[in-house]
Amino acid sequence: MRSRTWLITASVAMLAVAASQLGSYPVYLMSLAMINIIAAVGLNIVTGNSGQISLCHSSFMAIGAYGSALMTAKLGIPFWLSIPLGALLAAGVGALLGAPASRLRGIYLALATLGFLQIVQVAIEELADVTGGVRGLTIPKAEWFGVRVSEYARFVIVLACCAFAIWTARNLLASRVGRELNAVRLSPHATQALGVSVNRVRLAAFALSAAYAGVAGGLQAIVVGFIDPVEFGVSAALRQITFIVVGGMGSVGGSVLGAAVLSALPEVLRPVKEYSDVIYTVILLAFLIFMPHGLIAVWHAAMRRIRARTISASTVEA
Amino acid sequence: MTDRLAVENLSVRFGGVIAVRDLSLRVAPGEIRGLIGPNGAGKTTVINAITGAVRMSAGRILLDGEDVSALPAHAISRRGIGRTFQHVEPFGELTVLDNTLLGVGRHAPVPFAHAALATPLARAREHDAVRDATAVLERFDLLPYRDTRASELPFGVLKRMDLARALAARPKLLLMDEPTSGMSESEADRAIAAARALAESQGITLLVIEHNMRVMMALAHTVTVMQEGRVIAAGSPAEIQRNRAVIDAYLGEETADAVG
Repeated sequence: MRSRTWLITASVAMLAVAASQLGSYPVYLMSLAMINIIAAVGLNIVTGNSGQISLCHSSFMAIGAYGSALMTAKLGIPFWLSIPLGALLAAGVGALLGAPASRLRGIYLALATLGFLQIVQVAIEELADVTGGVRGLTIPKAEWFGVRVSEYARFVIVLACCAFAIWTARNLLASRVGRELNAVRLSPHATQALGVSVNRVRLAAFALSAAYAGVAGGLQAIVVGFIDPVEFGVSAALRQITFIVVGGMGSVGGSVLGAAVLSALPEVLRPVKEYSDVIYTVILLAFLIFMPHGLIAVWHAAMRRIRARTISASTVEA
Repeated sequence: MTDRLAVENLSVRFGGVIAVRDLSLRVAPGEIRGLIGPNGAGKTTVINAITGAVRMSAGRILLDGEDVSALPAHAISRRGIGRTFQHVEPFGELTVLDNTLLGVGRHAPVPFAHAALATPLARAREHDAVRDATAVLERFDLLPYRDTRASELPFGVLKRMDLARALAARPKLLLMDEPTSGMSESEADRAIAAARALAESQGITLLVIEHNMRVMMALAHTVTVMQEGRVIAAGSPAEIQRNRAVIDAYLGEETADAVG
């Protein structure tokens, strides 16, 4: 537990130093990767832990992105306040969706969330006066008390949010909240017999995951400087599902690993960009079939082996 | 004195099948009540109806005089009705400690924001919950399995964990669905002793479904016999053993088993 906190702190410091030495494009890519990590952490809570498939996680990102961007543009709310407010807005909508969704299972829930994604897409297109419609929305450069936020400062903000997201998710999963999320997935019957409301936990999982997605969306708008509604469509939702399956369902470490590894993929796939949805689907299926516990399981196995070797080496010495 | 549990004219229908018909049952505080009957008599359905896991078609359930029939399952549990499962419903991927902590849960509420930020309050509550859960594990000789995943436990140990988890929630009334099924005779004897000690030392009222007549005779104060969704007899274990209708019901089952 303690050692994990150190791991997060050390990684943050290393990344902050590394980014100060790198060019603007790698730093931009690293920011996007961390935004993906925040989104994946959220999705993993609702799907990996509480066991509810969500095919509309990208819609909550959209709500966070448009919500916080419009709060800044139309109401003059500074970005550092509009991002948490955008997350709250996304969480509110997540709770609204969670209320009926918590009563649906499996394929029905998948269809309901897919329907919600379509509604959000149509709403963005129809409310073109506010959202810019299909042409998208240009975001004015973020300002901090009248001073324009530098590229490096933007990176540090994303880094801090990402570290905070990982830290809070880990805390939640280690607490009673996390136990209840897992319990609801593993046996709803036994969960309610222990006095825990299964519907309340399922609803909270949706709201919580939407809050993380909202933060990711708000940050993406600032980092990219433009909101393209296509970025929040079915492909994005599928990509996020792939993050958590590849990384490891129900594990914060898995979310980080999956999102980080797969965020590098579009760069690798640049020459065959038009096939990227197909490639994501192949990766998703391959992991579901051959490595259902994801990359994090490989990592844990390796750690166990190292620990076992250290122990046997020390006993030999003694 | 008010009954701890009163089931009044309970009926449960699944489509065209009537699993429980017009069943009434009263259990006094501190009593150990046995519920027996051949397979398919509707015993587990009675437990499921009392705990709110299945919807009843007619009737009322009173806990200490309060009508709990309309409450959702988790609210009924919070009123003080706990249960164990015939086939154990473990949270397989969680450790024995985590399973038990889920039982302790409602006695150690943690505000959401505190949990997310791991505040001193959240840590103190978690610490208390672990202490309480560990005490329960110790009482059931489960400490050696504390960090083992429930899915890796042998069935007899799993049954013990199921009981520990249910008791961690500190129920007033515990419904036990075949607590000794799948256990060896010596394990069953120990389980009976533990259940009896619970009822006596903590004043927990027990309603026990049991197939094993020997267990029932050693444990229950009174026994209710069900057949085809109805109560066909009630009385002390000794009376029940001599009851003609009960003997017929059980012989009938054995004959059916032999034929089947």
